[in-house]
Amino acid sequence: MSDTKLLETTSLLPVSRRSFLRGAAAAGVVAVTGFPNIVRAATKEIVVGGAASHAGWMESIVAPRFEQETGVKLLFEGTRSTVNLQKMQSNKDRPYLSVVQMDDPVMIQAVEEDLLEKLDPGKIPSMSNLRDSAIHMDGMWVNYQQPWAGVAYNTAAKPDGVASWNALWDAENKGRVIIPSLQNTEGMWTLLMAAHLETGKPLGEAQYEIDAAFKKLQELKPNLLSIYTQLTQAFNLTAQGEATLLGGSFSAFIMPQAAKDVPVNLSAPAEGVFAMPSGICKVKNCPAPDLADAYIELMLGAWQEVLAEATYSLPTNTTASRPAGMPDVAPFAPDWKFVSENRAAWIDRWDREMGV
Amino acid sequence: MASTTVIQAGAAPARPAARRPPPERSAALVIPASAFMLFAYAIPLLLLLIASVRTPGGISIMPFVDFLSDPFNWSIIWNTLRIALITTAVALILGYPMAFALNSAKGWVLGLLLISLILPLSVGVVIKAFSWQILLSSNGIVNLTLQALHITDGPIRLIFTETGLVLGAVNVFLPFMVLPIYSVIRLIDRDLTSAAACLGAGPLTQFLRVTLPLSMPGVVVGVAFVFSMSVAMYVIPGLLMGDRFQTLAQVIGRSYLLLRNESLGSTVSVILLLIAVSVVVASDRLVRRLRTVQ
Repeated sequence: MSDTKLLETTSLLPVSRRSFLRGAAAAGVVAVTGFPNIVRAATKEIVVGGAASHAGWMESIVAPRFEQETGVKLLFEGTRSTVNLQKMQSNKDRPYLSVVQMDDPVMIQAVEEDLLEKLDPGKIPSMSNLRDSAIHMDGMWVNYQQPWAGVAYNTAAKPDGVASWNALWDAENKGRVIIPSLQNTEGMWTLLMAAHLETGKPLGEAQYEIDAAFKKLQELKPNLLSIYTQLTQAFNLTAQGEATLLGGSFSAFIMPQAAKDVPVNLSAPAEGVFAMPSGICKVKNCPAPDLADAYIELMLGAWQEVLAEATYSLPTNTTASRPAGMPDVAPFAPDWKFVSENRAAWIDRWDREMGV
Repeated sequence: MASTTVIQAGAAPARPAARRPPPERSAALVIPASAFMLFAYAIPLLLLLIASVRTPGGISIMPFVDFLSDPFNWSIIWNTLRIALITTAVALILGYPMAFALNSAKGWVLGLLLISLILPLSVGVVIKAFSWQILLSSNGIVNLTLQALHITDGPIRLIFTETGLVLGAVNVFLPFMVLPIYSVIRLIDRDLTSAAACLGAGPLTQFLRVTLPLSMPGVVVGVAFVFSMSVAMYVIPGLLMGDRFQTLAQVIGRSYLLLRNESLGSTVSVILLLIAVSVVVASDRLVRRLRTVQ
């Protein structure tokens, strides 16, 4: 008699061990696939995707607040916006992310690929308090804050700050200017401001004058020390005094450093500042839809001012107060759909015209 | 006396053939590594090759034609090759004498030299690149030294230049040039140079006619190593030259990570792979030819 046979015959169960295991496995499959709502209803956590650089305040400020309000664990996955998009694409049939915070241009791609669920103002009441410029594509996604972008500078070299974006083109700054690559989101600001300076049109109109922008950028080349893709590196060069001006830099990165007495600060030049895209969306067919609504409501509510202060950003909720030290300006948000449609071609042109 | 030596050498008992493992057992030893390489390299490489010729209309070489028909892309290829060639040449010029210094060193000096060569390999490329950024800055040690020696009147721009890039790259890849050359020249019989000297050859002739030809296999391997790595380097140009200097590796990274253009990324990857493989194959043939000549 084999050992297996012995076990089967001596089992206390009325069925064989093998049959029992088969039955248990089948029951597990049915439980997961056949009654998803039951399983999901028991969910005591929500997974939120976002930028890796946001992990600090997400884990120290947002997650505790959300967990305190709902009793639900918030898991934050930080990475690049494009990687978040890939996660949503590859898990489209069975998403595990419920909410994603990412750049607006990537949101447009997500909308085009039918990955987002339109936000419902009935379930997210604070949407009615948002600035118009913070609601996109009729509520497919919204901005939960707006870090503002201007010109960063070395405080020893420019003790009075930067009054105008034209400073980037000044001959006195030859070889001392760094700007972001068009690969980076903040790379858009120098391009758009170049269009405004070249055409004299308001930013809302000038943003479509890309030929003029590239013409103006050609004049910037003698002043360029570098074009960066790594913001930290560019920031260090500015802090060391190797660079004097850092075009298109933004408050969420520069101002916390300035607060630590690093000799770099951020100016809001007279021509205007830009709104860094900080979008939040609900993933279509997400595993925790009600929790997703509750989380987005938290991020859009008046409590936003606490977050805005911590992240050196402007709130998008009109009832939230502006943190101290923030400029009293309305940042310009570009036509991201136009940007999304043309960005690859602009990057190609940028490589050809701005290269060494 | 000489004939006695020959007889003794000839009389040395050969290793019994029966003690060698049979070929099939030796072949079995490579199975784990081969299996790993099959899954980790060969299959992904095959997928890459397929992706590089896959178009909406089916399999086609048009992605390659499109890429290579654009003069701007040739400038990127030239950037890549130029920096790799200069880096390799500088590494060879610095590494060749260093390999001889290692060969002639003994005791703690040899240990110190080897540690100074190998230990920096444990430091990440990013840290090295940032370090060079500090060294090459206006107030960095390189500029201060040039001014102290009255070679320059004031600080000159070194960061975000090709000079800075080559310096950083050579710093990273130098051990891969020195070690193959060192491993070859330490096997060169010193009696050969002594014999050449007895026959009237001066130091330069001894080097050119004896030492240099015998060290060439190490040089070829070192050149293949350094060229292959420098032609594909991604992080170092990104940090030391920024976005204004395009190389094939950066086009690949951007295609996959930013533009999500798998076709372009795989096409450029195959072109870069062909360049690197060509160098390795050419090096292998050169080594074989040198052995035949010797």
